[in-house]
Amino acid sequence: MDYPIWDLAMGGGLLMAIVAIPHVIVAHFAVGGGLLIAVTETLAVRRDDPALRELARRSSLVLILVSTVFGAISGVGIWVVAGLISPGAISALIHTYVWGWALEWVFFVLEIVAALVYYATWDKISKGAHLLVGWLYFVGAYMSLVVINGIITFMLTPGRWLETHAFWDGFFNPTYIPSTLLRTGIAILMATVFMVFAALKTPEDRRASVLRYLGWWLAGGVIVSYAGYRWWEAVLPETVLALFRGAAPSLASLAATRHFVLWALAVTLVVGVLILILMPKLTRAATAVVLALAAFAFFGGYERLREGTRKPFLIHSHLFSNGLLVSDIETINAEGVASWSGWVARGDADPVSFGRRIFKTECSSCHTLDGYQGIRGVMPSFAEVLAVAADDPPGSGERVFQAECAACHADLSFAEMREVLPSPDEINGDPEMIYDLNVGMVSATIAGLRAMGADYAAADRDRMINTAAMDYPYMPPFVGTEKEADMLGQYLATLIPQKGGE
Amino acid sequence: MNPNLIPAVDPAGLPGPAWLFHILLVFTFFLHMLFMNLTLGGTLLAAFAHLRSGGRRDDFRGALAGRLMAVNNFGISLTITTGVAPLLFIQVIYHQYFYTATILLASIWFATLILLTVGYYAAYLYKFRGAPTRGQGGGLWLGVSALMFFVIAMIHVAVNLVSSQPEKWGSLADGGWNVLGDPTFWPRLFHFVLAGIAFAALVAVWWAVRRAGAGVDVEINTEIARYAWRWALWSTVLQVADGFLLLMVLPKPVLKGLMSGGLATLGPLTLAIFIGIGLLMMLARASNPVENPGLVTGTLGAMTLTIAIMSITRHQVRALYLEPATSQHHFQVVSQWGNFLLFVVLLVAGLATVAYMVRRVLTSPATGEDAA
Repeated sequence: MDYPIWDLAMGGGLLMAIVAIPHVIVAHFAVGGGLLIAVTETLAVRRDDPALRELARRSSLVLILVSTVFGAISGVGIWVVAGLISPGAISALIHTYVWGWALEWVFFVLEIVAALVYYATWDKISKGAHLLVGWLYFVGAYMSLVVINGIITFMLTPGRWLETHAFWDGFFNPTYIPSTLLRTGIAILMATVFMVFAALKTPEDRRASVLRYLGWWLAGGVIVSYAGYRWWEAVLPETVLALFRGAAPSLASLAATRHFVLWALAVTLVVGVLILILMPKLTRAATAVVLALAAFAFFGGYERLREGTRKPFLIHSHLFSNGLLVSDIETINAEGVASWSGWVARGDADPVSFGRRIFKTECSSCHTLDGYQGIRGVMPSFAEVLAVAADDPPGSGERVFQAECAACHADLSFAEMREVLPSPDEINGDPEMIYDLNVGMVSATIAGLRAMGADYAAADRDRMINTAAMDYPYMPPFVGTEKEADMLGQYLATLIPQKGGE
Repeated sequence: MNPNLIPAVDPAGLPGPAWLFHILLVFTFFLHMLFMNLTLGGTLLAAFAHLRSGGRRDDFRGALAGRLMAVNNFGISLTITTGVAPLLFIQVIYHQYFYTATILLASIWFATLILLTVGYYAAYLYKFRGAPTRGQGGGLWLGVSALMFFVIAMIHVAVNLVSSQPEKWGSLADGGWNVLGDPTFWPRLFHFVLAGIAFAALVAVWWAVRRAGAGVDVEINTEIARYAWRWALWSTVLQVADGFLLLMVLPKPVLKGLMSGGLATLGPLTLAIFIGIGLLMMLARASNPVENPGLVTGTLGAMTLTIAIMSITRHQVRALYLEPATSQHHFQVVSQWGNFLLFVVLLVAGLATVAYMVRRVLTSPATGEDAA
């Protein structure tokens, strides 16, 4: 909250997704690939099977080019982007788990050195020594996952850490073991779908058997992933589960994501069994792409669900995604955000400029102006108010209400909203009144967000907070003085589309 | 209203005493420097050598370029891997300064990722020259790779300078490019670049001398050794001059702090200067290093020692830059000694495993049917 803000038009969240999504896919491939390649080469040596040997060899080249280059750079990239868009948040994580990351680094060193040696020594050293390197690579890669998963799951379910702030209480949190199982399954899945491309180059007479071999790995990966996912869901606290099982309209997308995740996994299994086990002759580059996309969709959907479920926190019940600590809410409300951050205080003192800096500090970790989660798009506009009031043709008003109003006005039905609004003739006759009404709605929302801070501040900090019970379950509270809330409102009012401007 | 642009110390505190993280930061930075020197200096030297060879691999300079980049295909990975640790530890003790500097230079700091990806894949394209370069030797890819790594060095120097000077953040917020006008920027940048070239050249000499000593391609290895030796000599000559220039343009309070810090600061600085001058004398003693392999090993060892000592001095210079700010902040320390011990045990076990693996690989050559 007291760092300068990077003015990124596309939004920090989207940039993080662009860096993190490819990274997690590649990183899980690196782990699963370690297992599959080591097992495949071991089998090749035992059975004296050149086709399996070539599969392991070709896959190791992909592993080097994709994993040690792109995987390593994008892994650092996640830190780089996190430091740029949520410095306070990543700082809190690092200060809590620096030794966790240090442990992971040791395994990372082993993983990278083993990968480079493994690739470089094909045909140059004995089979036994080469297998040893391959298995050491897998140990390094898998242990990286085992360690880093403790930190990732801690963020969603810190468990007893909230009470004790003890390293291992947070590490071995309620979702740690199920998530480790789930990610193991995902790693096998990712490795399989990548290795199918390498398997396509197998000579015709052995291609079907090699593809079937990968098909059984894929089926195993799906089963482990499904078991891990169900277990993960089963141990989630009710307060978190309510977010994607609840009926709140604003959170419908999370429930939809959950269905998407499970369907994507089912499609992965069906396509995989069909093209790899039952009819391997159907496996072409195009069908392999379909299989990979289905697996990526499952994985991406799960990550979206996990991240979405954690909102509005970075560390659940402790630190919000904009870097605000739950424990700082009352202090900042009393002293003001400009007293907290020199970067907010610095610059023009007029209310709109001041409000803009508050927006950047408190809101821009999630909201852009016009891009991803664009704030301008969620401002009530003249056209939307008119459309709801007119409801012409019948039904159109309710659609606009559901799309544009219901997220914030969950307490009102469409009919109740129409009763509150002036008639279409009155709206057309006095556009200024509607603008004032919209400004009032924005101010009321900010006031509601500020009031929500009191609920967070009063919550038991030793337990996970039930965000589903909050008025805005996916947003951090507004913090600052009433005057600062007013200045934020004045800035946001400049973004409200007026008649003719929408 | 808060007039202070420096963010507050993280309330989570330090999971160990500050001195421990300072030591870990310097030590892991030194490891990173070894591979970074190979990556940056090696790629630049390879690009020059390739250019001089006209792209011919049968020319000793072309062979040198190919050899350096073969090392770099691994070296770049290890540069990134060893860079992770100092990146972690700097965020622990200098988070307020580091994050703020990266945000003030956000676009170019983020661009590092893209430049690194391009530079790394370009290095591989040079290695696999053929399809992408139509058999022309891959000079274009080598040039691209060298350019990317040079620009990354510029960005790192810029971020470091901004993070060390919070008093300039206000003006930098209005124009991040102002950092290029800092009097220490260019001497500092070339201090790294010249060290990289000298170190990579010496590694190339050391390898060529070993090969020549073993009777392998004696003629070309001798030429490579002589050529790279000259690069090491002249880049060290320039390095000594640049080092004194950098010392002179440091801000007065920093220079004064360095000079009045007693043995703690003057010891490493003086030692590094003496070894630097000693390096020059060693490099000037021979024109054909193949005839004096002991001198080559000694010179490489002295160079490595200089890098280690200069890593300490560099850290002290940053501490002096930041002293007015850091003296205002105090970390809460919540030590996790058990976790530190676990880290040390795992680090030792991990490095021992790597050593065992490398030894096993070196002692298990392929024999006929047993080839992997």
